[in-house]
Amino acid sequence: MADVRDIMELDRPGTPEITRETILGTDKPKKKFTPGTKISKRPEGMHREVFALLYNDNKDVPPLFPSDTGGNGYKQTKIKLGMRRPRKWEWMAFTNPARSDNATFYHWRRPSDDAKEYPFAKFNKKVDVPTYTDVEYQQHLTSDTWTKEETDHLMDLAQQFDLRFIIIADRYDTQKFSKRSVEDLKERYYKINGILAKLNGEKKIYTYDADHERRRKEQLKKLYDRTPEQIEEEQFLISELKKIEARKKERERKTQDLQKLISQADIQNDTPRKTDKKIPKKKLSNPRPSRVDTSYILQAVETAGIKFPDYKNSGVSLRSQRMKLPANIGQKKSKAIEQSLQEMGLELNPTATEDICQHFNELRSDMVLLMEIKSALETCEYDLQSLRHQYEALAPGKTLIIPAQLTNSEQENKINTGEIIDVVGSPGTPLNT
Amino acid sequence: MSGGMLYGGDEIGALVFDPGHHSLRVGYAQEDTPKAEIPAVVGVAPDEAIKLEAESKPDDSNVSSQSQHKYYIDTTFLHTPRVNMELHSYMKDGMIENWDMFEKILDYSYDKIIQSESHYHPVLFSESPWNQRQKRERLTELMFEKYKVPAFFLVKNAVLAAFATGRATALVIDSGATHTSAVPVLDGYVISNAVVKSPLGGDYLILRAREMLEQMGIDLTPAALIASKDVVRDKDKPRFVKKKLSFQPSNSWMTYMVKKTVQDFQQSVLQVSESQYDERVVSNIPSVHYEFPTGYHQDFGTERFKLAEGLFDHAMLGAGYIAATSAGMCDVDIRPALYSSVVLTGGNSLVQGFSDRLSRDLSVRTPSSARLKMIAANGSVERRFGSWVGGSILAAIGTFQQMWMSMQEYQESGKSQIDRKCP
Repeated sequence: MADVRDIMELDRPGTPEITRETILGTDKPKKKFTPGTKISKRPEGMHREVFALLYNDNKDVPPLFPSDTGGNGYKQTKIKLGMRRPRKWEWMAFTNPARSDNATFYHWRRPSDDAKEYPFAKFNKKVDVPTYTDVEYQQHLTSDTWTKEETDHLMDLAQQFDLRFIIIADRYDTQKFSKRSVEDLKERYYKINGILAKLNGEKKIYTYDADHERRRKEQLKKLYDRTPEQIEEEQFLISELKKIEARKKERERKTQDLQKLISQADIQNDTPRKTDKKIPKKKLSNPRPSRVDTSYILQAVETAGIKFPDYKNSGVSLRSQRMKLPANIGQKKSKAIEQSLQEMGLELNPTATEDICQHFNELRSDMVLLMEIKSALETCEYDLQSLRHQYEALAPGKTLIIPAQLTNSEQENKINTGEIIDVVGSPGTPLNT
Repeated sequence: MSGGMLYGGDEIGALVFDPGHHSLRVGYAQEDTPKAEIPAVVGVAPDEAIKLEAESKPDDSNVSSQSQHKYYIDTTFLHTPRVNMELHSYMKDGMIENWDMFEKILDYSYDKIIQSESHYHPVLFSESPWNQRQKRERLTELMFEKYKVPAFFLVKNAVLAAFATGRATALVIDSGATHTSAVPVLDGYVISNAVVKSPLGGDYLILRAREMLEQMGIDLTPAALIASKDVVRDKDKPRFVKKKLSFQPSNSWMTYMVKKTVQDFQQSVLQVSESQYDERVVSNIPSVHYEFPTGYHQDFGTERFKLAEGLFDHAMLGAGYIAATSAGMCDVDIRPALYSSVVLTGGNSLVQGFSDRLSRDLSVRTPSSARLKMIAANGSVERRFGSWVGGSILAAIGTFQQMWMSMQEYQESGKSQIDRKCP
C-alpha cells in the first residue's frame, strides 16, 4: 500500500485507514504515524527507487561500524511455528460407506480424523429409477411394442447408467431385443415413470413428447448434414434477401420523398416561391461543410425565408390565419420582423385581403432572407479575414491583398442582396420593395 | 484427509497398468508418469541355453510347466542378441492374446518395478474400447486369483485419455502402434457403437519407411550388432564392423531390432505436411539429416512427407476421416460437445505435424456451425502415456474409491460381475 502511494506520489494518510476496528470503535487509539520523522521530500528528477535506497524508515544514519544489537547478534531467531508437536499421519484402513461391500482400503490419514465418515461418500448420488411389481406391470404398464423382459432390461440399464439414454441406447442388448432409438427408450421410460408416479398419487407428472424430439433431431441432422455447397447457397440467398430488402426500403423512402416534394410543390404553387423544389430535402441535412466551403451558406440563403403553411386543405379558415408566422420562426426573427415593419411604417396586422395577404407574407419572407444573407455575409467575411491571418502567419512578410469586390462594403452588400434576391425570387412576382 | 477435500484426491496406493501394442505402462496412481514402460514383446528362449543373465529370469517356480523356457522382458534384455531367442508379442488387435506371456510381464512388473506385493495394491487396468467380455473376465480372474489384488477396475483407455485432459466428454483420437481409433466418450462412457478404427498406426509407418529405406539400399543393421563404425561422408558406403556372434540371431529378433531402428528414423525424420501432399510445396521445406546405426547418413527431403502422408491420404482410413465418421455415428445432440473437445493421444500422434493436419482435415468435415477444438498435450510423455495418466488421476480420486470391484465382491459374485461394475 505504502509503495503504491509512493508510486502515485501521494502523501501518507494522516488518519489511519478504516478497518473493522475503527468502524466498530473497539480499537484503541492508534499511535500516530511516526510523528517524529520528517518526511523529506524527494529531490526533483531523482527516481523513486533510488530515493528509497537512500534512506531507511526512521531516517537514521546507518551505523558506521557493526554494532551488536544484543541477544542473538546477527543470528536470526528461529521462527517458532507453534509449540505443539506435529500431528501424525498414518497409513490406515478405511471403509467407504458409499460401498455396499465394506471393502477396506488404506490411505494416509490423521488419526484424529478417525471418527469421521469417509468424506467422499456424500458425493455418492444415485438417480431414482422407479420400480414396479409384476402385478403393477400387468395392470398398468403393458404395451404392444414392449415385452416385460425388454422393459426390465431398459429399467436395469437406466439404473446402471443413471438415465444417460444415449449410453443406454448404445449398450442396449441388440441380440435379444430389436434396436431402439434414444427417443423410443425415453418415451417408454418416461411413460412408465409417469404411470407409476400417478399410481403413487404424485401431482406433478412429466410427459415426454417423443414425436417432437424425433422431428427436432431430424431437423438437426439435416442442419448438420448440409454440404458446403448448400451452406454457401444458403449464405448467398440470405445476402440476396438482405439486398432485396434494402432496395425495397430505399424505394419506399424515395416514394415518400417524392410525395413530400409533390405536396411541397403544391404549396409553392400557391405561394410564388418555388426555389425550394430545386434543392431536394436530402441536401438540407448537408454534411458538415469545410471552413472554406461557402456553398452551405449560399444554400442556407437559398432555402431561407419563411415557409407559410398551406391552409388549402384544412377546410374553412380565416384568411388572416395565413398571415400568422409559422411556429418555426424564432423569437429573434419575429422580433426583427416586427422592428423592420415598424421602421417601414407598416401595420403589424394588416387587413387580410387576398393581395395584402400574399404580399405581406412575401415581404416578411424576404426580410428574413435579407437577415440571413447578412449574417451569411458576415460569416464569409470572418472566414476571409481569418484565412488572411492564417496566410500571413504561415508566410510571414507577405500580405494577402483581398480584392476590393470581396471586402465588405455597404454598397456592394446591397447589390449582392439584390442579385441574390433576384436569383431567388421567382418570375411572375414583382420584386419586392 | 484434511487437505484432501480441497482437490478431491484420495490416494490408496493403487497401481495403474496400461497395456498397449508398443508397451505396457506401469506405475503408481497419483504420479505423473508411469514407473516403467515395458515393451510389449517377450523374448522366449529354451532354458538349456547358457545362462547369461540370471536375474533376468523371472521367478516362475509357481508355473512348473513353463520351466523349460526362459523369458526375457524389458528393453535391456530384449536388445541383446541371444541364442534361439524368439520374440513374441502378447497383444493382438488391442487386446491381450497370450496370457502366459502377459503373466510373465505382470510378474516382472511386480518384482522389478513395483517391488511390492500385489495384494497390497488395488489395480486399475486400461483396455481397448472393443475388448471382449471373455477377455475382461479372464483378466479379472487373473488379477484376483493369481495376484490377490484387493480391488480391481477396468476402464477403456479412451476414457482415461479424455480424463487426462480433464474432460468426461470427448472425441478421443488415439493413434498408437497398430491402429488409429476414434472413440466418442460421453460422461466417461464410451459409445461403443460409434468407435471407428483404422489399421494405420505407427507400425504401418515403420513398414512403409522400411520398404523405402530398403529400396534405397540402406543397410538397416541394428546398433546391437555393430561393434564399431567409421565416420564416412554423406551418402558414402558405410564402413562398420559387425559384432562377432557365434550364432545366428532369430528372425523375430532381427525383425524387432530393425523395426526399432526404423522407428528411430521415423520419429526423428518423418513429418506430416500441412495440407494434401504436394511435391512442389514440400520440396521447399528443408531436409533433415539422419545417421543410421551403420554410420551411413544422408539428407531426407520429400521422402519425409511422402511417407507420413500415408497416415492421411487414404480415403476411408485417414485420421480425419475416421474422426468425422465416428462423430457422425453419434446422436446429433452430443455432436457439438464431441467436436468441441477432440482429444489427441497416442505415441504415433507425435509424428511432426500430425495434430495440425488432423485438425485441418477434421475442420473440412465438421459442420460449419460446430465449434471444433482440438486438445493435444504438448509434452511427449503426456501424449504417449495419455491413458496411463488418466488412470493415474482416476485411481487417486476420492469419489472413485467406491467404484472398485473388491475382492469381497469378486468372491461373492464372481468374475462376471466385471461387466456390470466396469461398463
